[in-house]
Amino acid sequence: MLKLARTLRSYATARARSWIRQRQGPDRDPVELTRHRLYILPTRLGLAYAAMLFAMLLGGMNYNNNLGLALTFLLVSLGLVTMHHCHGTLRGLTLRLLATDSAFVGQAVKFRLLMENPSAVARPRIELSVDGAVTSIVDVPAGASAEAEIAIAATRRGRVSLSRFEVATRHPLGLFRAWAVVHADYSAVAWPRPAQRSRIPPSVETDTGGAQDRARGEADFAGLRPYQAGDSLHRIAWKAYARGLGLHTKQYAGTDVVSHIFDWDSLEGLDTEARLSQLCRWVLDAHERDEAYGLRLPGRLIDANVGSAHRNRCLSSLALFDTGDIDD
Amino acid sequence: MTERPPRLRGMRWALAALAVAIVPHLPFVPAWISLLLVAALAWRGTADMLGWPLPPRWLRVAMLTAATLAVLATYGTLNGIEAGTSFLALMAGVKLLETRNSRDLTVLVFIAWFLLYAALLRDQRVAQLPWLLASTVLTTAALMRVHAGAAGDAWPDVLRRTAALLAQALPLAAALFLLFPRLPGPFWGIQTSESARTGLSDEMTPGDVSDLSASGEVAFRVRFATAMPPPAARYWRGPVLHEFDGRSWRRPRGQTFPAQGVRFAGAPVDYQITLEPHARHWVLALDLPAAWPQREATQSYDFTLLSPRAINDVTAYVLRSYTKYTAGTVLPLSLRHKDLSLPASGNPRAVALGRALAARNADPQGVVRDMLQMFRSQPFVYTMQPPRLADDAVDEFLFSTRRGFCEHYASAFTLVMRAAGIPARVVTGYQGGDFNPYGGYLIVRQSDAHAWSEVWIDGRGWLRVDPTAAVAPERIEKGLIDAVGEDEPVPGRLREASALWAQVALGWDTVNDFWNQRIVRFNADSQFDLLERLGIREPDWRSLGLGLAASLAVFFVALSAYLGWKFRGPTRDWPARLHEITIRRLRKRGLRPGPIEGPVAFLDRAAAACPDLATRIRDIRNLYVALRYGPSPTLADLRRLKYLVNGLRP
Repeated sequence: MLKLARTLRSYATARARSWIRQRQGPDRDPVELTRHRLYILPTRLGLAYAAMLFAMLLGGMNYNNNLGLALTFLLVSLGLVTMHHCHGTLRGLTLRLLATDSAFVGQAVKFRLLMENPSAVARPRIELSVDGAVTSIVDVPAGASAEAEIAIAATRRGRVSLSRFEVATRHPLGLFRAWAVVHADYSAVAWPRPAQRSRIPPSVETDTGGAQDRARGEADFAGLRPYQAGDSLHRIAWKAYARGLGLHTKQYAGTDVVSHIFDWDSLEGLDTEARLSQLCRWVLDAHERDEAYGLRLPGRLIDANVGSAHRNRCLSSLALFDTGDIDD
Repeated sequence: MTERPPRLRGMRWALAALAVAIVPHLPFVPAWISLLLVAALAWRGTADMLGWPLPPRWLRVAMLTAATLAVLATYGTLNGIEAGTSFLALMAGVKLLETRNSRDLTVLVFIAWFLLYAALLRDQRVAQLPWLLASTVLTTAALMRVHAGAAGDAWPDVLRRTAALLAQALPLAAALFLLFPRLPGPFWGIQTSESARTGLSDEMTPGDVSDLSASGEVAFRVRFATAMPPPAARYWRGPVLHEFDGRSWRRPRGQTFPAQGVRFAGAPVDYQITLEPHARHWVLALDLPAAWPQREATQSYDFTLLSPRAINDVTAYVLRSYTKYTAGTVLPLSLRHKDLSLPASGNPRAVALGRALAARNADPQGVVRDMLQMFRSQPFVYTMQPPRLADDAVDEFLFSTRRGFCEHYASAFTLVMRAAGIPARVVTGYQGGDFNPYGGYLIVRQSDAHAWSEVWIDGRGWLRVDPTAAVAPERIEKGLIDAVGEDEPVPGRLREASALWAQVALGWDTVNDFWNQRIVRFNADSQFDLLERLGIREPDWRSLGLGLAASLAVFFVALSAYLGWKFRGPTRDWPARLHEITIRRLRKRGLRPGPIEGPVAFLDRAAAACPDLATRIRDIRNLYVALRYGPSPTLADLRRLKYLVNGLRP
């Protein structure tokens, strides 16, 4: 019996979902919650409230007690008023994707959303939920915005997409829940879990080509250049900064420019995931040491380079390796 | 195992709501329940503040079981208002011991609402309103505090938001109250309230009526359609007492006698009487009722009107009475026997007096006259504080103390008449009443309670004889205050002493009367009256339904509009809008802002391109910049910009 009820329930939920999806179509960022896309139903508490009022109504009619009826009607009316307030609290709110935070497998990727409230009334208790699990509850002040995040645990490498989430509120009395479904097209990347530090990277290739300027060696100081985002903190010319000359990065030249190319083929004997984990570990370590590195994967070569953007690019290509997703 | 409860949002509000909701029940539920609830509230409040652990589960289960059994043992049921309220109060107490999340708090809030409701079932007086209002706001605020966001947590803020919600709910609540169909009668059995109410009883012991007379509560109100009878004719008939045991008079239970015919004379008195609930069956009526609503009352063999149901709510009857009448032509033997019977023993001197009077007078009316003359000539005192009487109460009163209230005189007189062989009985009811000029009705209070006698005279029927009138004629003519000494505890002395206070009291009574007539007694007839006054011809249930639907629709539209306005976006940005108009107008000259051209650059270019408009365009530019980016944009600047833009005719 219980099983049947559960089956029916999940069937109904699935039907409702596909109906809503068909009705609304896909969403484009930013999403404004207009009244056409708001749904509202009484909560369990609301149903209990209704049952209480029904009992009060019957009692009041039976006893011909006008004051009891008056209280009942006031509470009925109060319930309907809160229904409108609940709906109004959500209506007109705008959602915007601020950023997605990628993460390693085992951690949680985060979608950070900005909720903008253009009206002069605060909108309390806005909750975000994915598949029925509430991920955050925020109060959006009047005429301002608030940040909320949806965190999804990354269980395997590759793209983690957020294709459907709900924005809801039970304000002000918890008797009703108004919600909107957002069919977003947000995605973040779950990088492979880095392997243990056990395997030494393959031998260093000494670059002899014209990449000397870009791939920085360790030997001879070659001058300063203005700081660019992504430059290592180790190389900032702090003395120059202290003299008030602004941020500069020290540059070195020389023949012993270190540049790794981490090669998929050097890891024979490991399976795909283990190889990716190992490459991930090497990338992270090299980045930590401010060494230039590149990646050679089957059918793909990433030239040696440095910086956070490069690191993320390498990690993403590892994450998306062989998943069919296109790396961007 | 003990657990440390987390501090809950809204706990204090829920505690306060419960504490206020229980107040009107305190006099009605057993003292131990009140004490337990107060203790539970105090304990939970303190525990919440100091972070004490909750009691273990076995203790809570044990308390719940004990509470249920105790209520069952006290009332024998969990049903009905008294038992139900006690049970709810106990549930609240036990729930307080295990409140650990917002759902538990919600249960407490629901219990508070039910307590509120139960108090209304018990008592609908207007004096309840302030409490009702406070309690409703507090309970709703508690629910809001449990469920709403953390914003605006300060208590004035919570109260303000709650009051706003309730205020928005009021219009629809009023419409529902006026239009929701009222169906007559109870659908299932009503548990009669066992709580004692002030009022007459079917038993009278010396001291009962004087106790009742110490209460200033309103017994009923009367609106006369015809002229109001004079004070001396205002005898309001209640229960008639036939059985005497030497001390107390009683109404015979389960015994009935043949009805007797009545002939009326003189002008009829038409009136509506609105009874305050007294939890008994009798319907007070001006002596002697001639017509009454057949389905709502019947007349007993001793002419008292009886309602089929106990009067537990404010109830109104439209009646017709005659103050002149001949009640009964033939006295049935069984009733004659009943109204002549004397207790087997006791009060020997009173009985002897009766027999002596009978021996002296051949005419029964002579006996009555002599007895009244005795009251008049001997030093009898009319007082609310008579001395306590021992076993032979009538003897002691007649021959030694000689101080008594109306029940002493009626009791003694009736006994003496029976001893003299004249069928007699005690009638209880009310006598007199205050006219309220503001409301245009007569107020009869418990302090007007009275007892008198009726004697059977062959050929003349039942005659009313009021021995009190012989002792204290002022009581009948003017009322109790003028009839007793100044140091006696008559309610309403203050009214008598201060004219201002008398006005205030009458005004307040008018409010109560209005409340009773318009709110408490609002029914299907009132609904149809209302619709007719609104211009609907021959209203029926369908018009009520239509009215309800219409008010719901209006309410929804109005509320949506209000909330739409409240949650509106920012007001229009007038400078930006005027700039757009400028751009549109300049299009006529083939000028369009480039993709990265800002307003200033564009307007400068436009001014250069149209020398005829250059001054105006530059002014527009300067005003726009001042309004947009200036330190103190003024309304005057905006008006000027508007003027300039409107006058821009390229």
